[in-house]
Amino acid sequence: MRGGVTLTVDGKEVTVPKGTLIIRAAEQLGIEIPRFCDHPLLEPAGACRQCYVQIEGQPKLATSCTVGVAPGMVVKTQNTDETVAQAQEANLEFLLLNHPLDCPICDRGGECPLQDQTIAYGPGDTRFIEAKRTFVKPIPLSPLVNLDRERCILCARCTRFCDEISGDRFIELFARGAGERVSIAAGEDFESPFSGNTVQICPVGALTAEPYRFVARPFDLSTVDSICPHCSAGCNVKVDVRRGEVVRQLARSDYDVNDAWLCDKGRFAFRFPDAPERLTTPLIRDRGLEPASFGEVLTQVAGRAAGARVAILTGGRLMDEDYYALSKLARTVLRTNDLDHRRSPGAGEAERYVAAQPLSVSYKDVERAKVILVAGLDAEQEIPILHLRLRKAAARGARLWVLHPRRTRLHDVAAHILTSPEEAARLLAGEGPTGNAAFDEAVGALRDAGEDAVVIAGERLAGPAGGAEEAMALAFDAGARFTYVTRRANDRGALRAGVHPRLLPGGRTSADGLDEVEAVWGPVMDREPGRDARAILQACADGDIDVLFLVGVDPLRDAPDAALALRALQNVPYTVVQSLELGSLEPFASAFLPAAAFLEKTGHVTDWEGRGQMLRPVRGAPGLSRPDWEIAAGLALACGGDLGFETLEQLHEEMARLLGPRPITLALPPREDPASASASASASEGLALVTYPLLVDEGRLSERADELKAALEPDAFVEVHPEDAAALGIADAGRARVRTEAGEAELPLRVTPHIAPGTVFVPFNQPGLAANTLLSGTFDARATLEAVAGTAAEAVGDEVSA
Amino acid sequence: MSLEFEPRLTRDWDDPSVATLAGYVAKGGYGALRAALEMSGADLIQVVKDSGLRGRGGAGFPTGMKWSFVPQDTGKPTYVTANYDESEPGTCNNRELAERDPHRLIEGTAIAAKAIECHLAFIYVRGEYLWQGMVMQRALEEAYAGGYLGKGIAGSDYDLEIVLHRGAGAYICGEETALLNSLEGLRGEPRLRPPFPAVEGLYASPTVINNVETLMNVPDIVARGADWFRSQGTEKSPGTKMFTISGKVERPGNYEIPMGTPFRVLLEDLGGGVLHGRALKAFTPGGSSTPLLTAASIDVSLDYESIAEAGSLLGTGAVMVMDDTDCVVEAAERMVRFYAHESCGKCTPCREGSWWATRVLGRLEDGLGRERDIPLMHDMGTNFLFRAFCALADGTAAVITSSLEHFGDEYEEHVRLGRCPLRAPDPQAGTDPDALAMAPPSEVAS
Amino acid sequence: MTVFVDAVRREAGSIIARYPQGRERSAIMPLLYLAQSEEGRVTREGLQEVAGLLGLKTAEVEAVATFYSMYRLRPTGEHLVNVCTNLACLLRGGKDVYEAAHRAAVVAHGEELSEDGLLSVHEEECLGVCEFAPAVQIDFANHDNVTPERMGELIAELRAGRTPEPSRGPAMRSFRHASRVLAGLERPEEVGA
Repeated sequence: MRGGVTLTVDGKEVTVPKGTLIIRAAEQLGIEIPRFCDHPLLEPAGACRQCYVQIEGQPKLATSCTVGVAPGMVVKTQNTDETVAQAQEANLEFLLLNHPLDCPICDRGGECPLQDQTIAYGPGDTRFIEAKRTFVKPIPLSPLVNLDRERCILCARCTRFCDEISGDRFIELFARGAGERVSIAAGEDFESPFSGNTVQICPVGALTAEPYRFVARPFDLSTVDSICPHCSAGCNVKVDVRRGEVVRQLARSDYDVNDAWLCDKGRFAFRFPDAPERLTTPLIRDRGLEPASFGEVLTQVAGRAAGARVAILTGGRLMDEDYYALSKLARTVLRTNDLDHRRSPGAGEAERYVAAQPLSVSYKDVERAKVILVAGLDAEQEIPILHLRLRKAAARGARLWVLHPRRTRLHDVAAHILTSPEEAARLLAGEGPTGNAAFDEAVGALRDAGEDAVVIAGERLAGPAGGAEEAMALAFDAGARFTYVTRRANDRGALRAGVHPRLLPGGRTSADGLDEVEAVWGPVMDREPGRDARAILQACADGDIDVLFLVGVDPLRDAPDAALALRALQNVPYTVVQSLELGSLEPFASAFLPAAAFLEKTGHVTDWEGRGQMLRPVRGAPGLSRPDWEIAAGLALACGGDLGFETLEQLHEEMARLLGPRPITLALPPREDPASASASASASEGLALVTYPLLVDEGRLSERADELKAALEPDAFVEVHPEDAAALGIADAGRARVRTEAGEAELPLRVTPHIAPGTVFVPFNQPGLAANTLLSGTFDARATLEAVAGTAAEAVGDEVSA
Repeated sequence: MSLEFEPRLTRDWDDPSVATLAGYVAKGGYGALRAALEMSGADLIQVVKDSGLRGRGGAGFPTGMKWSFVPQDTGKPTYVTANYDESEPGTCNNRELAERDPHRLIEGTAIAAKAIECHLAFIYVRGEYLWQGMVMQRALEEAYAGGYLGKGIAGSDYDLEIVLHRGAGAYICGEETALLNSLEGLRGEPRLRPPFPAVEGLYASPTVINNVETLMNVPDIVARGADWFRSQGTEKSPGTKMFTISGKVERPGNYEIPMGTPFRVLLEDLGGGVLHGRALKAFTPGGSSTPLLTAASIDVSLDYESIAEAGSLLGTGAVMVMDDTDCVVEAAERMVRFYAHESCGKCTPCREGSWWATRVLGRLEDGLGRERDIPLMHDMGTNFLFRAFCALADGTAAVITSSLEHFGDEYEEHVRLGRCPLRAPDPQAGTDPDALAMAPPSEVAS
Repeated sequence: MTVFVDAVRREAGSIIARYPQGRERSAIMPLLYLAQSEEGRVTREGLQEVAGLLGLKTAEVEAVATFYSMYRLRPTGEHLVNVCTNLACLLRGGKDVYEAAHRAAVVAHGEELSEDGLLSVHEEECLGVCEFAPAVQIDFANHDNVTPERMGELIAELRAGRTPEPSRGPAMRSFRHASRVLAGLERPEEVGA
C-alpha cells in the first residue's frame, strides 16, 4: 500500500492507511477488541475505556479507538497481553456495577454488545454488594424512543450521533459523575427524524424503540437484507420478520449509500404491506367487484384494450423490472405513449440527462465535494439520508448553499437563499451577476471548485416556473457535477425505463436512439410524445381515454389536482387497478389485479444516484398476488402480444441492453442576461403557493405507523413571511384561509421569517388538509390569504420546525 | 532550621496598596510588560525557557517549551488563558496571590500573550472565588483605564483584551482541555489529545494555558532575567514555590519557599508544627490527588524530583497534615468522595469506580467492612491508575493505594473491630451493608 | 421571554458581547448566572431562554447547567449556606459545622432546603480557603474558622434579616445577588469592594 503504515497487532503484521485507528487496524486482521463507545462513523471518544491495548514502549495502556497507528508500532491486545485482558475485565466490572440484571425483559437481550462482551471478556462474578443506582424506567423520549437510564453505560454514542451526524441535539448528557445520564429538556420530545439510529447504535438496551417493545427475541426472527421502499435514498436495510410479519426494520451498513443510518420513516413505517385491506385475489366488476382468476381478468382487460385509447399511470415505488415491462407493454402492445410515473410536468432535459446517466452524482461525490448547491429540495424531509450526507460534507469543510422557498434543516451548515420558484428559476438562468449577492457568491464558488462542485436540483424546480434545466446548464457551465433528484423510492427507475410520455428506456426519445430501442423491442408504433399525467387525467375527464391503468398509484390522493382526478375516474369507461389494495379507488375500478409488495419479490430499485440495488423477497407473495412485471407480461400475452421474457433472467438480459449509461446531446436552455429576464411573479395575483410532502404524512406507506406519526407528523399548517402577513393584516391571526383557483382551506397560521417573501407554504398531505384540493395540476399555485376571524396567534418560541 | 531566602511572589504582601494599579505601578509594576513589548516573541519564549520555569499547576511542564509549541502560521488567532480554577483540595495559594497582587497576574498574562502574538486572553477564575473574581474584575478595569489593556497597551501599538470568565463549580475544569470546553460554553469534559491545546485549543485555535502562579512568575523573569530566577531553587526545579499547609498545623497558611526546601522547615518553622504538639501521622505533599506520605518522609525536599523519589508528587504544593488522632480510612473516604463528586462522568473507571470506592470506604469506616474489601480496594486502585481518560482518576487511585500502602493495618483494624478504631463505638451501628448504600442521585432537572 | 425582559435582555446582550463573534456560546455560563439571579434558581424558562438567545437546543443548555454545581435547578433558599467538609476542613471539624448548619437552619435529613424556605444548606467541596478551615460560604461570601457555635450565630443573623459580615470582601444580600455578581454585572465598587 502506498503511503501505508505497517504495524503488528498480536504479532501479526498489517499495513493500513495513515491515520487509521488501532482498533480498525486490528479489525483488518480479524482481531476483535471489545468496545462500546467506538463507532466507525463517529469521532473517537475514548469514553468507555473498554478497548485497551498495550503499545510496546508506552508506560500506560492505550485505548485503541483513540490512538492512530504509527510505523513499526507493536500492539498487544487481550489475546496476547495479560494486563490488557485484566484491564478489560476490570472495566467490564465497572460497567456492570450499575447495570441492572433485567436482561430477561430487555429488548436488547440476545443481541446486546454488553451481554456478548461480558460473556466473552468479563468477570464471571461480581464483587459489588452495594445498592445499584436506580432511575424511573423507562421514560419516553418520544412516542418512538424509550430511555432506560439504568441500563445506560454512558458511552455517548446517541448524543454524539445527534451532535455529529444529525445535528439536532435533542438529547444530551446531563449532570456529571455517577449522576450523569442521557436526558432531554423537560417538556420536549426527541423530534428528530433520525432518532431511531440512536436506538440501533445503543450498545445496551438503554434506548429502545416503542414499535419493537416486547415484540420479539432475536432468535425468533428471520432477517432478510433489503432496500427501503420509502424515498429515493436507497437505504440498505435489514428486515426482521416474525411468522411472516415484518416487526422491525434496521439500517444495514453500506458506506457507499446510507453509511449506517436510516431515517425514522424508513425504520418505523413498515406495517403498510400487512394492511388488513390487502387484496390478494383478482377482482372483476360484474354486479359488484367479484373474485376471478387472473386469466379471466386479463382476458377481459385485453378485450377492452384492443384498439382502444389506453393510458397508464404508475406510482413511484415499483421495481425497475416492473417499470421496464410496463414501458415495453405500452409501446409495443398497447401502442400508446400515454404513460407516466410522475405527478407533475417534470424537469425536461434534466430528466433525460439522469435517465441516461446513472451515478452522475453519487453519495461519495456529495461527501467529497468542496462546494454544493442544493436547489429546490428540502433534503431532510424528502431524502433524509442525502440530508445527512450533505451535513457530512459540511462537516468535512464543504461550502453549501440551499436555494429553496423555505428554510431547511441544513440551515446551520448551509447559506440559504430563500426565493419563490419564479425567482429561483430566474437566478439559475442568469448569466453574470444576478443582483442576488448570496447566489452570485454560490455561483462563483461553484466555478472555483469545478469538478469538486455539485449541483443538486430537486422537484421544486420541476414546476411551471422551471429551473431544473437552468440549474443543469449552470452546473455544466461551471464545470460542476449535476443531478436531478426525485423523492419516491424508484422514480429514478421509472424514468430510466421510460415510464414517461416522451422518454424511452435509457433517456432515448423517438429522435435520439429509437433505432437502439427498436433493435430490442421491434417497431415502436407511436412516435409522437404522449400525454403526461395531468393530460392523461384531463383526457380521461374529457372522455378521450377508454381504458386507464392505475399501477401502484391513487390519483385521488397523489395527483396535484384532486378535482380533476375525480372527474377523470368518473369519466373513463374502464379502469384497471393494479396494486396491493383498492382503497378509495374501489368505486371506480372495473378490474383489480393483486400485486406483490416490494418485500415479496426479487428485483431492483434505483436510488436518486441512479444506483440499482437488488432486493430479495422477505416472504412469498400472498394469495394470487404476483409481481407487476409478471402481470404486464401476462396481459401482453392476453392481448396477443409478447413482451419476450418469462423469467427474471431473460428480463434482466434484455434490460441490460437498453439501460446502460449512454452519452446524450442535451438541448440546454440559453443562459440569459438576468437584467432582461423579468420575474413574472409581480404581475400575478396573490402569493406563490408551494407545497411538497413532509417526511411523515398521510401517505399510503405511512399507514399504521402510529408511533411514527405520533412522534413526527405535524398537522397541516400554512406558513407565510412576516412582511406578507403584515401586508395582509393577518400577522396576529391564529388561523388563515388559503384560497386558490382550485379550492380553499382554513389552516393554523405560522408566520416565520424563514420563508421567501411573496411565498406561502402548505404541506402536501398532513392531517387537516390534502393540499391537492388547492392545486390545478402542478405543485404550485397562486394563493390569497385572509385571517379567520376570532383566532389569535399563540405566543410561540423562536423556532417552529416542520 | 531556619530559612533565609528572598521572597518573590509574596514580597509585597505586607503592602495592601499593591492590589491597586497605582500601588502596583509604584513598585515597578508593568515595567516587565513594557520591556516585553519591545522584545520579539521568540526572545520572550527563550528567556522563559532559560529560566527553567515549570508549570505550577501540578504537572510541572516547562513553561517556555509550552509557549514554543504554539504555531504562528495557521492564519487563526492565538489565545492565552490563565488557569485560575484552583480547586485541588488543600490548595489556595493562587487565591491569595491574585487576591493580594492581581496586577501581577494581568501583567504575566499580557506578557504570555505578547510572546505568542495573542490579542485576546482569558482569565478563568473558579466560581466559588466570588470575591477574588471581583478583585480581578476591578484590577482589569483599572488596567484598561490605565492603558495597560485595550488598544495600544502601555504606549505600544500592541492590542490586548483580557476577558474574565467565571467557572461554576467543577474541579475538572482545572484540567486544561476541560477548561477550554467550559470556556467555549460546553460541559467541562476533558478533550482527547492530540490535538494539544498549543495547536488546537480554544475555538480550535492555538492556545497557551498557564496556572496563575506560573504566570505571576513571568514578569520578574522578564524584568530580571533567567539567571536571577535560577538563583533560588534547585537546578531542575528553579525558583520559589507557593505551598499551602493546612489541617493539623499550628499556623496554616500559604508560604513561599525556594524549591528544594525540606518539608520539615515548612511544617515546623513556618507552619508552627503539628497542632497541639501531636505526632505527625500523614500528609499530602501536593494536594489530595498526590499519594500520602508519612512521618518517615518529614525530611523530604520539596521539589519535583525529591518528592517523586519519596513516592509522591509535588502537585499543587498543598500540604494537608494529619495527626495521630485522625483516621486514614475516613480521610480516604472523604477524598475519594470528592473525586466521585467531581468526576465529569465521561469515562467508565472514574465515573463508576470512584462511586464504588466511596461506598466501600464508607462501609469500612462505618465498621461494615469485610476482609475481602481490602484486596478489593487494592484492585480498584490498580484499576483506576493510568486507565481513565484524564488524570482525575489517578488522584483517586493515589488516595486509595497510598493509604493502603502506609496504613493497611488501620484498614484491617476497621474490619476486625467492626468500627473505626479512632472513633468511640457507636451503639446504634447496624450490620446491614445495604442500609448504608447511598440514595440514588436525585433528579436535578425540574 | 419571561426571564430576559427589558433591561435584563440588554444585560444578556452585554454578556454575549464579551466573547468573540461567532463564539457566542461562550456566554452560556454567565447567562445562566443571570437567569439564576433573576429567578432564584435556574428554571425551565431560564434554560429555554438562554437556548433561544444563543440559538441552541434547550437540552444543550441544560446539559451545561446540570454539569456545574453552582447552578441550582432545585428550589433554593434566599440564602445559600455552603459548608466545606473536604479534608482540610474535616480535620478541623467541618463535619460538625455542617451538622450545626443543618440543625440551625432546620433542614430535614437528606434535604437542602430549610423548612421555611429561607435557607439552603449544602455540603460543599474544597472552597480554597484551607488555611481558615473550617470554611463556610454564605451566598459565596467567605466566613473563616467557623465553629458549630459560630455557624449557629450566622444562621440566626440570616434569620433576623441581616447579612453577616464576611471574613473578606463584601457581603452578598442574597443568593440571587451573588448570582448577579457571578454574571459579572455588578461593578466591584457598587458592592462595596
